[in-house]
Amino acid sequence: MKRDEIIVGIVIFIFGGITAAVSLRMPIGTFRMPGTGMFPLLLGILLMILSGILVLRLFFQGRQIRVKSEPSGESLGSPVQLILFLGTMVFITLFFNQLGYPLSSFLLMVALLRILGVKRWTLNLPLSFVTAVVSYFVFVQWLQIPLPKGWIGL
Amino acid sequence: MFESLQHLANGFGIAGTIHNLFYCLIGCIVGTLIGVLPGIGPIAGIALLIPATFSLNATSAIIMLAGIYYGAMYGGSTTSILLNVPGETASVITCIDGYQMAQKGRAGPALAIVSIGSFIAGTIGIFGLVFLAPPLAEAALAFGPPEYFSLMVFGFIVLSNVTGKSLIKSLMMAIVGLIIGTIGLDPVTGNERFTFGSISLLSGIEFVAVAIGLFGIGEVLTNVNQPSELLDQGVIMPRLRELYPSLQDLKKSIGAILRGTGLGFGVGLVPGPAPVIATYSSYMIERKISKHPEEFGKGAIEGVAGPESANNSACQSAFIPLFVLGIPFGPVTAIILGALLIHGVNPGPMMIGQHPELFWGVIASMYIGNFILLILNLPLVPLFANILRIPKRILLPLVILFCITGQYTVNNSVFDIWMMLIFGVMGFLMRKWAYEGAPLLLALVLGPKLEVAFRQSLMISHGNFGIFVDRPVSMAFLLATVIFLLLPVFKIIVKSLKKGGT
Amino acid sequence: MLRKVIVGLLVSLVFLIGVPLQAAEFPTKEVQVIIPWAPGGATDLIFRALAATTGKYLGKAVVIINRPGAGGAVGYTEGMRAAPDGYTLTSAVTPLTILPHQVTTAFTYKNFDAVINVVSDPSMFLVRSDSQWKTLKEFVDYAKKNPGMITVGNSGAGGGVHLVALAFEKAAGVKFNHIPFSGGGPSVTALLGGHIHAVSVSPPEGIEHVKSGRLKIMALFAEKRFELFPDVPTVREQGINFVMGMWRGLIAPKGTPPDVIKKLHDAFKQGMDDPVFRKNARDMSVNLHYLGPEAFEKLMAHDHEFFGQLVKEIKK
Repeated sequence: MKRDEIIVGIVIFIFGGITAAVSLRMPIGTFRMPGTGMFPLLLGILLMILSGILVLRLFFQGRQIRVKSEPSGESLGSPVQLILFLGTMVFITLFFNQLGYPLSSFLLMVALLRILGVKRWTLNLPLSFVTAVVSYFVFVQWLQIPLPKGWIGL
Repeated sequence: MFESLQHLANGFGIAGTIHNLFYCLIGCIVGTLIGVLPGIGPIAGIALLIPATFSLNATSAIIMLAGIYYGAMYGGSTTSILLNVPGETASVITCIDGYQMAQKGRAGPALAIVSIGSFIAGTIGIFGLVFLAPPLAEAALAFGPPEYFSLMVFGFIVLSNVTGKSLIKSLMMAIVGLIIGTIGLDPVTGNERFTFGSISLLSGIEFVAVAIGLFGIGEVLTNVNQPSELLDQGVIMPRLRELYPSLQDLKKSIGAILRGTGLGFGVGLVPGPAPVIATYSSYMIERKISKHPEEFGKGAIEGVAGPESANNSACQSAFIPLFVLGIPFGPVTAIILGALLIHGVNPGPMMIGQHPELFWGVIASMYIGNFILLILNLPLVPLFANILRIPKRILLPLVILFCITGQYTVNNSVFDIWMMLIFGVMGFLMRKWAYEGAPLLLALVLGPKLEVAFRQSLMISHGNFGIFVDRPVSMAFLLATVIFLLLPVFKIIVKSLKKGGT
Repeated sequence: MLRKVIVGLLVSLVFLIGVPLQAAEFPTKEVQVIIPWAPGGATDLIFRALAATTGKYLGKAVVIINRPGAGGAVGYTEGMRAAPDGYTLTSAVTPLTILPHQVTTAFTYKNFDAVINVVSDPSMFLVRSDSQWKTLKEFVDYAKKNPGMITVGNSGAGGGVHLVALAFEKAAGVKFNHIPFSGGGPSVTALLGGHIHAVSVSPPEGIEHVKSGRLKIMALFAEKRFELFPDVPTVREQGINFVMGMWRGLIAPKGTPPDVIKKLHDAFKQGMDDPVFRKNARDMSVNLHYLGPEAFEKLMAHDHEFFGQLVKEIKK
């Protein structure tokens, strides 16, 4: 656990470093007339300092003292479920404009429900269908929000 | 004083006609609905309904639009409490304790206290509007770039550790928020920053995408990562008598509500991100003065009551600069200003004199509207609370669909959905390693304004840093910041002195 | 088995309905107008008023979207990238022909099709009524003696009123300290609060405050005096030959179908002629100035050249 926390700290340290490095390529200006890059440069350096302190503190801290805020999420489910869940969201977003809103919402519901273990299609499909129809009527018909129409043209 | 009361009485006469009551009611209902849907905030809601006001007279139109505004503020916290999805800046803080209350089966009291707190705040706020509007508007003008900068610094230092967990991690997240806030075009020189050639990034990263991602999507992903058995459960069932707050809840909350009201009203006058500062500082104060600070973050009712009251009264006082000076300090009041223009009313220093029926009628309608919202919202509490009976494996996909739709409607942009997903994954990882989302969001809102105010100040003073301490209001904020930073040191000194004495 | 059938059905469904339907008569949804500045500024106020009356004639609502940042570059970049279907217009204001000379932008006026010009306004400097300078002469003399000491707010670095202030510097032979804000609303607020000495604006910004007597017009860069304030002389009357103003119109992304442009132009023209908008415009003391697509295109082309020269001279 502790080693992972140190790795997270180092990742944030690197992020700060990249920020500072990219800022250096912008005009920095002077303290009296700060330029575009001044503010992000300072931020990047500050983030490196803070994450540096965190990492060092974790490193020198004995195993007996734990960080005040305890990382959560002890009981984990299968990562496959999480990856499939995320993948579905990415897929729908990729083709959101092409699929159009009603079809996207239907497919999203079908897939996510299946992934989370709603195995009975007689429950899954009607539920997804009703959700898609209701949200279509609320957002597109009633609130007149220009959601993508896609292939179906609805 | 007496004159104001008389005007107010006339206002009630105007707002109390069946015609205007009807539009007030419509505004409140639409506002509540719009508030409940994430993404569609009061701005989009009012913009959508402006064409519907064409045929109305100016007073009825503004009564209805104002109703949408504060109605959305009432409804905005519903998804924060039930689903951990903040629909707007103002309801980020409510996620922290509101969602925890809901997880413990206390969604009912949380939702109800929002309505009660908002009602009390709205009522007191209206009296503030009536009696203090002109002098307060003048006071707001005293805020120039240096004062603004000092206020932001104060807000930033004091509020970044709002939840009171690991200070160093909160500061790190705040800085990450500031860095994210610099993405886009530099507002002073127009140079590109961290856009990497992407046009979508030119206008910066949408706040709602970060908020819904970090809180809503992050929470869903954390749930998905749990063992499958947990997914069959709904949240602990609320028992019927626990749907509304107990006497003890009300006792705990009343102080928080009153403090939040005062705080929100004052902060609401300052241009810019008033709702954020108001809600964060109310939460901070309640946690600091609480006798049981350890309950905060685990479902303390004060942590919902205070910020929500602060939010509602800040939204009332936001009307002061609009009506008295004709200057909108926020996007919502800007849209209402547009609506005033459409109806041939020129907001400005002479508006109250030229259109008294409009000013006093709208003020009186706000009071009536608050009352309508209270009666409208309390019966809805059981309905909303029951949403949590849905088993998680069905609820979670619904939440995702809800978030994607809401996010798209903000700018009609798929790019924003991508941002929301990215920040969702980040929120999931942050949860895992106990990094807080609240400081990041605070910094994201304050950061760009902080930087601009800093650079404007130095341009005005020709690079002289003295400008920040020469001006009394600015000085006061900086002094308060220093005192706050030194407070722990003083406490240690006092403690050791006491120990030495005995 | 059932699963296969359903998947098959879905797939065939997708392909069957895959043919896009013919576009219905324009407009089928609301038309958005991008304002590249914060709410409350001149452009924002004028187009909000115009959007209100035009909606009636267009048949669909006209919605204002504010995309402030970088003196307008954010809004114009987004407007340029929008689909050329007539549903996303951008408000074209003088800076559109200035910005490309100052910073590397992805756009010039050539990336857009002109729709209509609505307003041409003179620019002006406002100061507080209790300002230490009573006349233009005092103001300019002080500026001459104390170069860079008078702070003049503008609505964004490189924006229209910023350039006006720079050009006036040159004409009057003085030097100001220019402070950028994120629009005309915030800069006027800063002047009201006394945080800056003067502000470069164009009507209707600040007009309500001039009417109420809190602010006054220090320098009016117009050909002729305001109808509303006949006592305020122009700077030309006072010996500085300097006239400059702002135009504000509407543009669509390049490649928008001509019949759509015509429909939009006609609706906005009717909206301009609507008595409600006329009255609003008069109250805001903005100067209505109608130009059709061709004439507006010419105006933009002319100013693009003109400001190109000016920016080159100033940068020297």
